[in-house]
Amino acid sequence: MKLTEQQLSELAAELDQVKANVMNQLGDKEARYIRRMLLTQRLSAISGRILMVLGFVTPWLWVFGVALLALAKILDNMEIGHNVLHGQYDWMNDPVLHSKRFEWDIACDAGSWKRTHNFEHHTYTNIIGKDRDFGYGLLRLSNDFRWRLRNLWQFVTYLLLSTLFQWGVSYHELAGERVFFGKKKADRVNSVSHSDLKKAFFGKGARQLFKDYVFFPLIAGPMWLWVLAGNVLANLIRNLWTSTVIFCGHFTADVHTFTQQQCEGESRGHWYYRQILGSSNFTGPRWFHILTGHLSCQIEHHLYPDMPALHYLTVAPQVQAIAKKYGIAYNSGSFLRQYATVVGRIIRYSFPGGKATPA
Amino acid sequence: MNETISLWGQRLYRQFSLMLANQPKLSYYLQPLLRWNNAELHPDYYSARIVDSGWETEQILSVWLEPEPSWTGFTPGQHLLVTLLHQGRYISRSFSISSSSGLFAQQKQIRISCRIQPQGQFTKALAADIAKLTHLSISAATGDFVLEPQTDGAPQQSIVMVAAGSGITPLWSMLNSLRCWTSPVVLFYCVKNAAQAAFLTELRLLAAKQPLFELQLIETASTGRLNLVQQLKENTKVSLTNALYYLCGPAAMSRQYKDDLIQQGVPSDAVHAERFGLELAATQGPVKQALLIEQGKVTTIEAAAGVPLLQAAEQQGLSPRFGCRIGVCYQCVCQKKSGQVLNLRTGQISGDGPEQIQLCISAAHSDLQIEL
Ligand code: FES
Repeated sequence: MKLTEQQLSELAAELDQVKANVMNQLGDKEARYIRRMLLTQRLSAISGRILMVLGFVTPWLWVFGVALLALAKILDNMEIGHNVLHGQYDWMNDPVLHSKRFEWDIACDAGSWKRTHNFEHHTYTNIIGKDRDFGYGLLRLSNDFRWRLRNLWQFVTYLLLSTLFQWGVSYHELAGERVFFGKKKADRVNSVSHSDLKKAFFGKGARQLFKDYVFFPLIAGPMWLWVLAGNVLANLIRNLWTSTVIFCGHFTADVHTFTQQQCEGESRGHWYYRQILGSSNFTGPRWFHILTGHLSCQIEHHLYPDMPALHYLTVAPQVQAIAKKYGIAYNSGSFLRQYATVVGRIIRYSFPGGKATPA
Repeated sequence: MNETISLWGQRLYRQFSLMLANQPKLSYYLQPLLRWNNAELHPDYYSARIVDSGWETEQILSVWLEPEPSWTGFTPGQHLLVTLLHQGRYISRSFSISSSSGLFAQQKQIRISCRIQPQGQFTKALAADIAKLTHLSISAATGDFVLEPQTDGAPQQSIVMVAAGSGITPLWSMLNSLRCWTSPVVLFYCVKNAAQAAFLTELRLLAAKQPLFELQLIETASTGRLNLVQQLKENTKVSLTNALYYLCGPAAMSRQYKDDLIQQGVPSDAVHAERFGLELAATQGPVKQALLIEQGKVTTIEAAAGVPLLQAAEQQGLSPRFGCRIGVCYQCVCQKKSGQVLNLRTGQISGDGPEQIQLCISAAHSDLQIEL
């Protein structure tokens, strides 16, 4: 640990200032932006579902329909859902865009997501043993974890997880709370009862399954198989995309991990410090950032989870400059390069050993 | 029987809508499409086209609205919640309707009249934006501050109205809607000076035309506060104890007059009062700590005595849902887990256990835990 407490508190003050500059200006521009996203999402969802049925005219229409539905699901989950659930648009006081009421087009119940992601993952980012998002309890991604035999084939596990990502996310909290298997960990204080967790898990999951795999195929009549296949494909594309984006944000080669002792009673400055080191960015064109829900700016997102995401790109240079000033590594690179290091990391830690991650 | 069917229907619709659109109602899903051009409309309310606007006095702005056809109408004296999109944010305030039921019957229009307050967030925004706005969102009309129907055959009771400032709005709506006058009506209209009195010309016209109506303009800048009881004792037309009272003004004033009247032997159910604004129960005391829990994330706020928790939370950068901010619309309701709150409207202190509270009218009475 290189920075003194004094430096850390200066770091916090500078980063707070960057945030305040943006948050004081929120108004029409952000409201218009997110409403336009909502409109785009609705249009592509509805037209996608219609085009799929028109696949009998030419299969190309079906292909186009699948692409549009996948786009709709990606926008709904990333630029809209993930960000709205962080409360980025709560200030608008709009019931459709308020984190308290928002629900999204994914198997995971929004309430469960807010507890595991917003709270657990964002508070304890990359603290081994506290942030269960680090490897999701399935993958060994640093030598903080003891090697086990099952890690040998963890690349296959990773591919499976990506394929079924929405179910992984949805089951995440139940796994942590040991609802079905395993012994409850003593240090977990759960605010929601097991029966409520199960109810939300099965209720939301059943609704999503029914919609995509029963309801829409049924009303498509003779085209039912096309619609069914199209919906499976659209969900798959969304799963692979969201999983890839998230892995690129936290599991690249240079991401740091932390121990619980390092973070006991940490200052706000240290929290910021940890967020910068625990995340990684990747670059790309504007539309690409939108498709990632601006999680391509994972560092900025982790510093300012409740800042409307469209501002991450504008504050990124300021954050980078501050990081440089304090000598904190700012991990950014092209999408392909970052993804290659993720794959490398998964494979490297499939085997025993590996170098200790710096913190 | 019918009720159970409709209840089941509602549940089924909700489940269907959740399944299809992940929204409690399909209109939420379709909102971006249906109103792509009118983003300023709030999805929970009716839309109302702005027909015209103009100043009644230097401070009072009137806006004529044409509600969408499905809007349910109103009884003179009722109020509604008006919502406005200002700088990307929905803000709301409740207003009494100031136009007559006749205007609505004939032209499908209503009018609201608002005193623009320099400190008032809503009214200031309304005055600033009115020129470029085309629509406002309005709720259904509510409230029981309406004229009691006079039953045939029963001895006619005279009516005494007291308006303070913009408190004239619901009373003018009642007067302007009265079609058959059967008993005397006296209106005490308290304003600082005549220049600040909205609808004065119309009221004088009515007084000239209608012998049963008496207008008493009280200019408090020159004559001081209205002494209601004394004025009524001097008035020959009405009998103090056998009249119906309609009071509309700041909460403290209405309460004062009501107490005075009851002391004179007026039955309390003969006094109708519409209070506007939030009458803050006077409170002092040490600052309390409130833990606000949002899906596991805990924020600690300093809650000073007498400060609404909603306001305290906003000062800490949180954004709980809200609507009217005066305890009417219940949009700010959330679950208190422990601790006591003071209800700023009633002055009542809550129990210590878990219960639902309205953030906008609750202040900390002890340290608190609240689930946002
Ligand atoms: S905001 Fe309307 S009741 Fe609290």
